Amino acid sequence: MRVAVIGAGAVGARAARQLHDAAEDLVVVDADGARAEAVVSALGKPARLVGDVDDAVTGASVAVLAIGTDHRALAERALERGADVVSVADTLTEVSELLELDPEARERGRHVVAGAGFSPGLACVLARHAAADFDRVDEVHVCRSGTGGPACARQHHRALSAGAVEWRDRAWVRRRGGSGRELCWFPDPIGAVDCYRGGLAEPLLLAPAFDGVQRVSARLAASRGERMLSWLPMLGRAPEEGGPGGLRVEVRGGQGPARAVRVLGAIDRPSVAAGVVAAVTAVWVVEGRLARTGVAGLAELVEPVPFLAELARRGVRAAVFEGTAGGVVTG
Amino acid sequence: MRALRRALLALGIAAAIAGVLRLRGSGGVPPQGGGWRELSGPDLR
Repeated sequence: MRVAVIGAGAVGARAARQLHDAAEDLVVVDADGARAEAVVSALGKPARLVGDVDDAVTGASVAVLAIGTDHRALAERALERGADVVSVADTLTEVSELLELDPEARERGRHVVAGAGFSPGLACVLARHAAADFDRVDEVHVCRSGTGGPACARQHHRALSAGAVEWRDRAWVRRRGGSGRELCWFPDPIGAVDCYRGGLAEPLLLAPAFDGVQRVSARLAASRGERMLSWLPMLGRAPEEGGPGGLRVEVRGGQGPARAVRVLGAIDRPSVAAGVVAAVTAVWVVEGRLARTGVAGLAELVEPVPFLAELARRGVRAAVFEGTAGGVVTG
Repeated sequence: MRALRRALLALGIAAAIAGVLRLRGSGGVPPQGGGWRELSGPDLR
């Protein structure tokens, strides 16, 4: 198979590395030619450099979009050239624009996987897995901590001041970014961190995945300083690579007459995990293992157990919270 | 005029104190039972 990786930053480079063995032809393109060349040189054949996006996606089975912006325009170009699309977009705007492509993608019989990174992405798979034992899902709440590359750090900064959307009582409601402080308990070594609402895409992808769900929310970890300064332009230079990031996905639902809560989580470097999730998704797209065509998140598209097993084989491991917040509540 | 200046000064001082308190924060982590277990083997079959 021929795979096009658009973007050779922190996530794109990891995705390309993960795809190196599976792809017969791996083309990499980036606005920063030197960066793309460094990735291709490090990987060796079958990775190769191409000059522009159109060259990359023409003839490709799947295009992995690992860039900060313009996901919709690039997805449209890939669809026009007959390629499926795996996008790591994580902003509300980008994912919302990708979802608008659903009719076109369905008409063409192509897949567009939106938010196939750390969160959304791994968060969506964890939500689907957590819901596996439930007859009905009432609520899904995602918290995430940490950032990957510079684009991710900038998105984190903007998200705190951007408007948030939540699915509440089966309707979309807008909330102020940086509001709704909640102490979220991530796997060690991150532990408990204050999280706030923000311009996150998880609700857009999770609400359609669970019939009858009443509430879906997403929060991101931030210090009080980050929250207060989010209204200003980013003062410091975004780091090339963030530290460990965490995910916590809480699903509330029903098992017969009983109500239950299941909490899953993960700890990893967000850009590494995002690269692995994007690569595994791309392989699944080519192998025809997704549930349907069109635009959707991973919660709607993949069987969570084999997907998580493949991630674990590649070093991205999930965890379950067992304790007072994880038990079945009867009555 | 003097009263206005004093009012503005008081507001400024109050805003500065509020900002410092907001940045410092307070409280700690509440106690929580249980713990995390990695999903492995039987969980992923």
